[in-house]
Amino acid sequence: MKKQLITALLFCAVAGGIMSAAVLAEGKTFVYGTTGYGVQMGDEGLNPHNNYSGWSALRYGVGETLFKYNDNMELEPWLAADYEFVDDTTVKINLREGVTFSSGRAMDGEAVKECLDHLLAVHDRAPGDMKIESIEADEMSITIHTTEPCPAIINYLGDPYGAIIDMQYGTDGVEGDSAGTANVAGTGPYIATNVTETQIDLIKNENYWGGDVKVDNVIVKTFSDASSLAASLQTGYIQGTYGLSYDSYALFDGNPEYTINSCATSRCFFGQFNYDSEIVQDEAVRKAITMGIDREGFCTVLMEGRGIPAKAAFPSSFSYGNEAVTAPDYDPEGAKAILEEAGWIDTDGDGYREKDGQKLAVRWLTYPGRLEQPKLAEYAQATLKDIGIEVDVNNTEDHLSIAESGAYDIYVSSLTTAPTGDPEYFFTTCALENSAKNRSNHKIDAVEELYEKLHQEFDKTRRGEIAVQMQQAMLDESAIFFVSHLNMGIVTKANVTGMAAHPCDYYEITADLDVQ
Amino acid sequence: MGKYIAKRLLQMIPVLIGITFLSFAMMRLAGGDAVTYMYENAGTAVPQEIIDKTKAEYGLDKPFLVQYANWLGGMLTGDMGKSYVSHKDVFEMFVSKLPSTLLLTLSSIILTVLIAVPLGILSAIKQNRWIDYLIRFMSFIGNSMPNFFAALVLMYFLSIKMRLLPVITTDNLALSLVLPALTLTISMASKYTRQIRATVLEELNSDYVAGARARGVRGSVIIWKSVMKSSMLTIITLLALSIGSLLGGTAIVENIFMWDGVGKLAVDAITMRDYPIIQAYVAWMAIIYVAVNLITDIIYHYLDPRVRLGGDGA
Repeated sequence: MKKQLITALLFCAVAGGIMSAAVLAEGKTFVYGTTGYGVQMGDEGLNPHNNYSGWSALRYGVGETLFKYNDNMELEPWLAADYEFVDDTTVKINLREGVTFSSGRAMDGEAVKECLDHLLAVHDRAPGDMKIESIEADEMSITIHTTEPCPAIINYLGDPYGAIIDMQYGTDGVEGDSAGTANVAGTGPYIATNVTETQIDLIKNENYWGGDVKVDNVIVKTFSDASSLAASLQTGYIQGTYGLSYDSYALFDGNPEYTINSCATSRCFFGQFNYDSEIVQDEAVRKAITMGIDREGFCTVLMEGRGIPAKAAFPSSFSYGNEAVTAPDYDPEGAKAILEEAGWIDTDGDGYREKDGQKLAVRWLTYPGRLEQPKLAEYAQATLKDIGIEVDVNNTEDHLSIAESGAYDIYVSSLTTAPTGDPEYFFTTCALENSAKNRSNHKIDAVEELYEKLHQEFDKTRRGEIAVQMQQAMLDESAIFFVSHLNMGIVTKANVTGMAAHPCDYYEITADLDVQ
Repeated sequence: MGKYIAKRLLQMIPVLIGITFLSFAMMRLAGGDAVTYMYENAGTAVPQEIIDKTKAEYGLDKPFLVQYANWLGGMLTGDMGKSYVSHKDVFEMFVSKLPSTLLLTLSSIILTVLIAVPLGILSAIKQNRWIDYLIRFMSFIGNSMPNFFAALVLMYFLSIKMRLLPVITTDNLALSLVLPALTLTISMASKYTRQIRATVLEELNSDYVAGARARGVRGSVIIWKSVMKSSMLTIITLLALSIGSLLGGTAIVENIFMWDGVGKLAVDAITMRDYPIIQAYVAWMAIIYVAVNLITDIIYHYLDPRVRLGGDGA
């Protein structure tokens, strides 16, 4: 009897599994595992007007913006046909013809205006970024008036929060709905049929304006454990992943059953010297530390090849990125010589240098929110010891209050330096005297002057040139050092095509996705 | 008995206030807040004015005691607040996760009892024989293996190598339940096996067992009718403690297998400094432990005449 009961239970379980698989088996199905979706990331749901959920709308093929970034992070029209700056505070955008929302409504000037007006009314960052005063709609175009010259407005319209959705369909789950998670009607190749905090079910948009969508069903599942993510890909439960841990790549690298697609993003790990601290006011100390950190070793050994050594705030795919600036290479012997010339000598033989009775020890403040940062601190501790500098690591979640108190010499953090493909954001955030994340507590006159020019400049080439000069001014002062750019990877089964990592990290599931 | 239960329930009030106050204070001492973490996680910087405005919306700009008083006031009126991160109603979020946790708790406890009781008794009866050594060795391994490691080992063999079970929770709940329940059972059953063995051995050496044997009572009758009854107090105490901790969720196992229970909810909330959820979780844990202890005491009352008589006498 017992045996029969156990057999029956197992049969039910297996049959259930087969049936659920059969339900999904209608047409091509792609199951995608990611660590990048969920409440913790602030991007649950698909409503672009809520927090960072626009990332999900774009990443999973539901929403599209007026402009998008190409592989070189240059802007291209997407839902827009073209644009023109009428004057410094007015831009006219012509819209693409023949685009419809998944709700069936045609996308026109009025629909885009409704969407952007709602964005400006409810979103926390968009109004401050875009400085929009008013929007006029005229059939298939909109005209935007800004309160001040805003050369980067087109870039901001490419930010995920700028995904164009049908406001008549609504943004379910945003206000008043405590149970549902937001779903929206976008213009993308996929339509969400079920949205929860841990899963999004998508079906192909049969009326997609951009051509045929090859996969019929897509399931996006969130993972909070990297081991489970890797194991799920190995078992075939998912066919593509985003957010594998560094050590997991070895499982798939060189294996013909899988494809690894990587590219450097603008997420940059960098350190800022606190000019209020006496010890790093010494330029020789700043230079020696910059030269004493082995970026190449950090990226290849500790990041297991998932990092790209950085010289600049922006990766090489940007015209004002790594190759455009000059920064000191890893040179321990050169660093030692600089310190000795400045009078820092190990007099007591303990391996660390001293000067006027003061030991050469620096307080390295960082936080564990990004896995790489504590690793970098430990690595720097080892390599800087070789040149006689003691590093006292403070890796704490309470880094902000310590940063406020000034009890640090070096602050190491990470930032997506060009989320909108424009350099101004990084400088506004980190480089100016009044920047929110200017942990150097230092004003570099050349940077301040150049920023004024950048802020007024509409010409993209010229903006890039100014960005190079600003970074170079910071590097020449040894006020900052850049260590690594994150190499974002998407690993898929070999039979999956049309899915590629992108430097801006916004586009993952597109109409090109196919499962052979 | 009714008076006793009412007294215990009244004791819960200062316990709840004390625990929630302490956790509230500790979260503040740990530094950081939900708003800062939310923006940090996204990897982009936002102007300080936006951060300050959002903090003010959540009342995070108010003094600590005011924040606690506001939260407590809400709790007393049945309003557990809204999550700072997801903006959803905390009570609804909590209730939505409970069925998963209850299912996992129940399954693991049943599996544990099914494994540990026979093995513990067998090990005691066959003391110092090869089967006893084998069971003790296996329970030693199971006991010393951390949950996350056991989870990965099971995942490797049962999912990756043998392709029998899904790695994470899928639509097929029955199959999805096996790995997390088994992971929890390994360590619990190992602990219980040793405990039951020790208790049974102690009882087997008692005078009443020697007496029963002398009167020719069958061994199985002694074990199941007498020894097991006497050992029940120990087993129930252990079970009560395990149920308490399991109902609080098993964060690591829930995270690894994406089992959407309260443990995962709590860990996510702690990471994000989502105070309303953390406070709800702390209150829930306190209620569980007080309730489970109370139920255990009541069971003692009926199982053990010594407790019953002593209690009534007092």
